[in-house]
Amino acid sequence: MKGGLKMVKRIYWVCLILMVLCLSLMGTVGRAQEVKISYSDWQLAQDIWGRSLREAIAEFERLNPGIKVEPEPVALAQRDVKFTTAIRAGSGPDVFALDVNPVKQYIKEGWVKDLTPFIEKEGGQQWLSDFYPRTLMPVTEDNKVFGVPKNTVAMVMVYNSQLFKEAGIKSTPKNWKEFRDVCKKLTKATKPGGPVDQWGVAFVLAKACFDLRFSVVLRGFGGDFLTPDWKQSALNTPEAKEAFNYVVDLILKDKVMPPGVAQVDCNEARRHLAFKRTAMKIGTMWSITEVSGFNPDLRGWEVLEMFPIPQKEGTKSKIHSTLYQKSIFMNPNTKHPEAAWKLIKFLTDKKQMEKWFVDNNMLSCRKSVNDTYGPILQSKYASVVKKEIEYADFLPLIPQWPECLEAFRVNLQAAIAKQKTPDQALKDAHEQINAILARK
Amino acid sequence: MKIHDRYKGYIFILPAFLLLVGILGFPALAAILQSFNLMWVSKPSFTVSSYVNLMKDKEFLGTLLNTMIFVSVTVSFHLLIGMGVALLLNQEIKRRHLFRVIAILPWTMPDVIGGLIWKFIFDTLPGFVNAVLIRGKFLTEPIDFLGTPLLSFLCFIFAEVWRGYPFVMLILLAGLQAIPRQQYEAGAIDGASTIQNFFYITLPNLKYMVVIAVILDTIWECRLFGMVYSMTGGGPGYSSQVLSLLTYKHYFQFFNTPYAASIAVVLAVFMLIISIPYLRMTMRREI
Repeated sequence: MKGGLKMVKRIYWVCLILMVLCLSLMGTVGRAQEVKISYSDWQLAQDIWGRSLREAIAEFERLNPGIKVEPEPVALAQRDVKFTTAIRAGSGPDVFALDVNPVKQYIKEGWVKDLTPFIEKEGGQQWLSDFYPRTLMPVTEDNKVFGVPKNTVAMVMVYNSQLFKEAGIKSTPKNWKEFRDVCKKLTKATKPGGPVDQWGVAFVLAKACFDLRFSVVLRGFGGDFLTPDWKQSALNTPEAKEAFNYVVDLILKDKVMPPGVAQVDCNEARRHLAFKRTAMKIGTMWSITEVSGFNPDLRGWEVLEMFPIPQKEGTKSKIHSTLYQKSIFMNPNTKHPEAAWKLIKFLTDKKQMEKWFVDNNMLSCRKSVNDTYGPILQSKYASVVKKEIEYADFLPLIPQWPECLEAFRVNLQAAIAKQKTPDQALKDAHEQINAILARK
Repeated sequence: MKIHDRYKGYIFILPAFLLLVGILGFPALAAILQSFNLMWVSKPSFTVSSYVNLMKDKEFLGTLLNTMIFVSVTVSFHLLIGMGVALLLNQEIKRRHLFRVIAILPWTMPDVIGGLIWKFIFDTLPGFVNAVLIRGKFLTEPIDFLGTPLLSFLCFIFAEVWRGYPFVMLILLAGLQAIPRQQYEAGAIDGASTIQNFFYITLPNLKYMVVIAVILDTIWECRLFGMVYSMTGGGPGYSSQVLSLLTYKHYFQFFNTPYAASIAVVLAVFMLIISIPYLRMTMRREI
């Protein structure tokens, strides 16, 4: 009897151990068959955009059971530090997003994989034909495609229609003279006898997001940072000088921007608009979502409207705005290029672009989406921004661009801080940019 | 002593030495090679153009001047305030240990967090200082602390003085506690005043500690990055930019690797020169 009980116990323990071993083996095999890739994006770190991206990733995993995607949020200011360090060290996210600014540098340094072979398998030019040709420019080099465009928008002026109404402004400004007059009307003390606590506009002058915003002022005057061939500075033109002096005067003479504007980055500009400290900002489709997120009481989707960037009267230049674009890239170090390509294709396909508009109010780089999707056709914001795309262009697509832009920005800050006269600041910026471009 | 006994010591320190070589030596060598465009660059080829461009770059020269002014002013204030607080905390007072903990607190804060806090304090519109001054009716319009070149630089120095003085204070406090009491008793017998005690007993005994504190603090401040990055970003213009920030910009924002490496090498050489008196002093004491 005792012997029999011992035997039963032994059999029980052996079966239990075998079961545990089998289960763990199955798990290992399952895990071995599952491919893990990582996706890094600065918008993963933001509430609304992050939620939308995570939903997209969940959908991708549902459609591709053997692939697991690890989202890796990264702060925008740290994005290039993190990516370039990791990629140089032979690691980094398998798939990642970039805006246009550093793309040419990434391509030059070999930090992004050539996607041409993958695109050829999809149909080559036929597959690419749905993208606006201009959106392929930043991601293409020597006829090789290094990224897939996702979203593109043009910069416009976003304004609070309620504040406009209260100030008795009946129409939006078409040129810079009218813009200045509108700013002056909107700059006031909201409490009788109190200090000025509402200003016309806040421009972004801090490093984060400066490039997209200030450039439209320059272009709105018919000027630009560089010559069309991107080989020399164009800051010595009368148009550039007029634009530069205009902004400095808006801040120092007209005082239509909040104090401390030199420190204003894109989030601060959104907060100013959200809390009615300003009535206007340079922005685009995402501004409505972002500003409303800062202050739901503003009822941003009702009161915020858009108008095209003002243009100097008589200017011949067609371009008066700047294009923003987000594209998706593959890490050349990835161990799972096929899985990574599947993710890139998924994130940039028609269905995801439509979801991206519904969730985040962003236009697509695909013609088939912008020209046919119902909600885009009905959107009051999309109608303004879509029209402006024709009058917008990218900032210079050269590796030296970040350094050129910083040289301009610090000189503009020096002029606003009265360290230099506007003329001297612009001259210094012009010389510094030429010196940067002349370097081999 | 047998020959193999002599080498035992080297064998014992070998792992630590290899670790130091890996963590410090290799990156330093890599930076030097990068500055000559020889390593981890897209098209390696020996060139000194980075150093040549550096000497002609007005921004670098201006930033170098900023760094020298910043370091000398900050270290001076660290020494003054650190000495003062150390002398106070060396007194036999109630709850001395609590005051010591409070005095060290600024140093325990990461410099990035400190920078963000001071940025908020000195901010123009929602800033704490401006809010107090305006509500107290001292001002009608806010002061643009971080948007005015000189003020921005001074605010940055102020923030770093606040954050860094405990480091010097700790070194000097340790030195103060090692001074034999008999010397003060002898001074008291001879009728020495407090000031005479300080100049003829305290300072001579603290000589080495002051030199160590100043040198280490200087090296520390030369390398400072987090505070300036989060508080002013080097602006407005280049007014509060220091060499560490310039290196960061060239490496991570402009992807100008050889140039960034050359700035880092120049900074490292500068710090090496500063540390020579410290090294000589410690080697002399060991002998």
